[in-house]
Amino acid sequence: MEDFLTLLLAGVSVGAVYGLIAIGLNLTFWTTKTMNFGQGSVMMLCAMLTATMVAGGWPQALSILVALAVIAVLMVFTETWTVRPALKIEGSMGWAVSTLGVGIVLQGLASLWFGSQALAFPDIIFTAIDNVVVFGVHVSLQYLAVLVLALALVVVFEALVRGTVWGQAMRAVSMDQDLAAVIGIPVRWIVLGSYIASGLLAGISGILVAQIGGTVDPAFGFELVIFGFVAAVLGGMGSTTGALAGGIAAGVLQQMVGGYISSAAQHGIAFALLILILVVRPQGFFGQREFVKV
Amino acid sequence: MIAVQTVLTRLLTHPVFILAMIVALFFGAAWLTPGTVAILGFLMLNIMLAQSMNLLTGIAGQISLGHAGFYGMGAYASGILMKTAGLPFIVTVPAAGLIGALTGWLLSIPAGRVREFYLAMMTLAFGLIFREIVREWDDLTGGAVGLSGVPSTTLRTLKVLGFSLDALDYFRLVLVVTAIVMWLVHNFIQSHYGRAFYAIHASEVAAGCLGIPRGGTKRMAYTLAAGMAGLAGGLYAHMIGYLGPESFDLARSIEVLVTTVVGGLGSMAGQILSAIVFTFLPEKLQVFAQYQFIVYGLILAFSLILLPRGLAGLLLLPPRFIRPASLRQATADGVAIRPVEPGTGAGLSVDHVTMRFGGLTAVDDVSLELRPGRITALIGPNGSGKSTLVNVISGIYRPAAGTVRFFGEAITGLRDDAIASAGLLRTFQDPRLVPRFTVRENLLLGAHRRYRTGLVSAALSLPAAAREEATFLSTVDAVTKMAGIADVADRPLESLPYGYRRLVEVGRALLAEPRAILLDEPAAGLSEAEMALLARLIRAMKDAGLMVLLIEHHMDFVAELVDDVVVLDSGRVIYHGDIQGMRRSPAVIEAYLGTPETAHA
Amino acid sequence: MAIARRSVIMAGIATTLAATGRRARAADTIKIGFTTALTGPFNEFGEGYKRGIELAIEKLNKSGGVLGRQIEIAMMLDDQLIPDRAVQNMRRVLDNKEIVGLFCPSGSGPTLAVIDMVQADGRPTMNPQAQTPTVIYPGGPGTKPRPNVWTFSIQNDIEANFMAGILGKKFTRIGLMNESTGYGKTGGELVKSGIMKINKDAVVTHESYNQKDQDMTAQLVRVQRARSDVLMVIGLGADMAVIRKNMTRMNMTIPLYVSAGGFSPPYLEGVGDLAAGTRGSQFRKISTVPPAPEVAEFLNAYKAKHGTDRLWGTDPNVPAPSMGGTVATGYDGMLVMADAWRRAGSTDPAATIKAMDATSGFKGVNCTYEFTPEKHHAIEVGDLTTYEYTKIDGKIALVQASL
Repeated sequence: MEDFLTLLLAGVSVGAVYGLIAIGLNLTFWTTKTMNFGQGSVMMLCAMLTATMVAGGWPQALSILVALAVIAVLMVFTETWTVRPALKIEGSMGWAVSTLGVGIVLQGLASLWFGSQALAFPDIIFTAIDNVVVFGVHVSLQYLAVLVLALALVVVFEALVRGTVWGQAMRAVSMDQDLAAVIGIPVRWIVLGSYIASGLLAGISGILVAQIGGTVDPAFGFELVIFGFVAAVLGGMGSTTGALAGGIAAGVLQQMVGGYISSAAQHGIAFALLILILVVRPQGFFGQREFVKV
Repeated sequence: MIAVQTVLTRLLTHPVFILAMIVALFFGAAWLTPGTVAILGFLMLNIMLAQSMNLLTGIAGQISLGHAGFYGMGAYASGILMKTAGLPFIVTVPAAGLIGALTGWLLSIPAGRVREFYLAMMTLAFGLIFREIVREWDDLTGGAVGLSGVPSTTLRTLKVLGFSLDALDYFRLVLVVTAIVMWLVHNFIQSHYGRAFYAIHASEVAAGCLGIPRGGTKRMAYTLAAGMAGLAGGLYAHMIGYLGPESFDLARSIEVLVTTVVGGLGSMAGQILSAIVFTFLPEKLQVFAQYQFIVYGLILAFSLILLPRGLAGLLLLPPRFIRPASLRQATADGVAIRPVEPGTGAGLSVDHVTMRFGGLTAVDDVSLELRPGRITALIGPNGSGKSTLVNVISGIYRPAAGTVRFFGEAITGLRDDAIASAGLLRTFQDPRLVPRFTVRENLLLGAHRRYRTGLVSAALSLPAAAREEATFLSTVDAVTKMAGIADVADRPLESLPYGYRRLVEVGRALLAEPRAILLDEPAAGLSEAEMALLARLIRAMKDAGLMVLLIEHHMDFVAELVDDVVVLDSGRVIYHGDIQGMRRSPAVIEAYLGTPETAHA
Repeated sequence: MAIARRSVIMAGIATTLAATGRRARAADTIKIGFTTALTGPFNEFGEGYKRGIELAIEKLNKSGGVLGRQIEIAMMLDDQLIPDRAVQNMRRVLDNKEIVGLFCPSGSGPTLAVIDMVQADGRPTMNPQAQTPTVIYPGGPGTKPRPNVWTFSIQNDIEANFMAGILGKKFTRIGLMNESTGYGKTGGELVKSGIMKINKDAVVTHESYNQKDQDMTAQLVRVQRARSDVLMVIGLGADMAVIRKNMTRMNMTIPLYVSAGGFSPPYLEGVGDLAAGTRGSQFRKISTVPPAPEVAEFLNAYKAKHGTDRLWGTDPNVPAPSMGGTVATGYDGMLVMADAWRRAGSTDPAATIKAMDATSGFKGVNCTYEFTPEKHHAIEVGDLTTYEYTKIDGKIALVQASL
């Protein structure tokens, strides 16, 4: 039982982070049908900058804010200089290559500045030792904190999308960009905003995961983004609840298969699940079946 | 610029030049250092991978994020079959291609139901799972340690048909195989199969309505592309003699995608140029030392902004999709519209069809009939359900109730391509053509359902295939003349004004030899002169015995042409009869009250 | 201004002269070549071994070179640890017929990819870092070695035997985790079979993980459920940091044993104070205080050129034992090869191979080298020792543990 709860908590908490990454990917997919293939580098950069500033004696909160600000600027750059020009070339898939390129540049810069080996990531709020005993089970506060933060972010995000004018505008843009432009929605800013928000979500996910792992290196984030994809597709592209549920499902499944069947199958199982879902229910758990507009 | 492109295109795609290059490499390799020969060997594999991705992404518009998986599948298949099962090269390498193809086919099974994005995810998952399996299945693949001792040229352990090959011989073998594959792909792309791939790329719905099955075509694209990647893998296995999972990771898949995109999607010559760049780039980048990763990233980030259509777009003219040989064979005696046998049944009959979207009933219990040799107008205010009805008849929507019969056979719920194949064609409110095709290529696309040439004879470009193509090209000539677009036949569609596109779309439907044709607002946006050409086409259809359904707001245009009129309002038929009667019908007058007759959608 | 310009011109002439002089001598140098991971995520391995080779060449050249000739790195290519690139690079190196001495790439994957080619070529080749035994002994440890390849790294089987010796004697319920790479998997299996040989009743729970996994709960739960008394991890330092933190979160207090990766900077930096108590095997000689004269010479040369940097470790007086693997293997490899040339009296491959196989009593940084035609590895169980992270005066230090 204790094993089960330990696995469950780790799965839910890591899965919630997958969900956060997935929501970030979803956001730009809504507004532009593109995704930042360099999202892993965004996660890495945010975590690396935070780690470096904290190591340099800056207060943690300030370091995180500065790192996120850098990410925001970076996303403005990415959207303006790589995604937008690439989108003008229809059917070229250019955005995939150009965003990937930005990701590689960031990875290269990070190796240049910080070296290619892993850097230590500071403990934020809790350390690995902190835990509470619930019904005789050790529950790590780090996992709990990651979980709570991830869930809170999803709730806040969902509230923003549903409750604010900007959220409404974003939904309108996701339905039909031309129509949205006609009715006076500043499509340009919404798209830019979606990229910034996507980057910020990725940056925060980076910090949260680095909490669990304890180290970051320039190649950090690459694999995690893949699980973000898995989560997004499992839940249904475009659904926030779905992304979270998909992430948690993938996280828990990985831990359960790893813990009870074989740790060698831990990664494979998530990808196998992805294929299965694509075959059986391509719109994901929560997605609506797509309707061809003619 | 165009002059440079023209010269370069003429040169680089000239058969004599290509043959000379192959011969030069074949014999010249003897004077090169083994290191250069090794890199050239990798270049051949990269060319094959890039072409495979080009066929899939550039031509068919599908995306693979797991190409390294197909490549690895082939490599391990050939490696294991030879090392463990002792099968000869002549079996294992083709088997590598077949296993790759089978994998591609399996992955694309859901292709008919899902959009390209999901198939891309499918390939991503496959690529990742492949590497996990290779890494864990120690007994078969050697696991993470890799598979050493695969017969290869390194230790001269590779025998092909009894001959022991060294690295130079093997390079020549790979060169010849690559050249043959390129030739086959080239023929394929310039056949109706290749054009169908491109049609799916441009618009799945429009392709379906020409009788091109979207699922089947996408599956074919995945199968062929994965087969080529598998074959490249099979050749790779015996080049080094060692297979490790690191050689087939996601980074490798991305490398292939990047090569293809930078080369210029759709252009075979561009792929070769790009493969050359990316094969030699790492070596050249070494001068940047620790900056090389950054330089590589910068190239990816900005190459497309500087070169929107890749290297090919910069250096070469756009590729064409009809074999020049077939063009030369075309004759001037084509017939634009062949008279149709009237058939035995009652033509097209729509019986009590209802279509709902959520709570909204767009088409409500509509019945109507089309007869051979008659033009029926379908009119009604915006949102009255006209286009929806056409979508139901052409198989894009499945109705909630009712039946559609075509010469007595129920076609309700059939796939759009099956309906088109039966001879029921349509056009769209917004013309859906292939922008990068010329007018001629677009028209030829219409003939898709009439081709009898098989895959093999298309890829080998057998005389029969060329003859068949030439016959249809003769028809294309006749149609362009009738539609008044003969002088722009070889211009890319995207360079033409809107009016031409309408005429091209109608012409394309005619190439399918339809028995019935549904025209959705064909006159919208046309000039007076173009409208006259359109009217001439429609009359010719009537004279040839076709059933014509014409959705149109332009009343003068309709009045001149039609035999029967059906008026829809809020999804219901409110009038059925001739045009004079319609003008007097109180229901019609009420529906149009306050709406000018010529209002456009 | 005029003076400045003249001095520039003079300097220019001087450079030209020096370059001509160097070129005149260059024709007569002894040339070596290699491909390694100089950039990319694994560049610290390549960088380390490159430094080792450079230090050795400087030492040799300062004392007049070998056979009266200076030694020169004629080709140094970057493969980023990608096997295909290593193959292309190695081909180019082999094309240079003036090169008489070769080094294998960092890492087992690229090395296995090029090793057949190198063997077929026949020139003497030193393997500084790849640990998989099949690099040297294609049929497995104990079989015939490739005639022209010698290894200076700790072979997987040696490291595994050492660890199995410690674990098998002290514990019966043993948890074992390895990364899912060639190095990790071979190591894991060798440790397991080594333990079983020593203690038939041992219960070994064997798990694997992927490099850069951020959470190891599943593996640790399995180890915990098997009621293991100890955990041994084979992999990179960063991943061990993840495991160590994960153990703490799960309140796992069993002792942790690590492979060489545990002594690289990312582990200590990643876990900080939690490192206390972690034990593992590493090169003995390089971190022994006081250092042997040949070690001191190497360390002084390193310090003079590169300072006490990340590769050196945190203690400015004693280098981290991991430096034995990153830097010293390249250094020793170069010196041993030069010694063989000296004894052979030529750089001819056949003569060099013969001399290499007769290497005996050569005192290197990591061990005393002994090669024979049947034995192409040098580092044995006795050249390793157990290290333990201990907290001394509030700071974590690495000490050689007495068993």
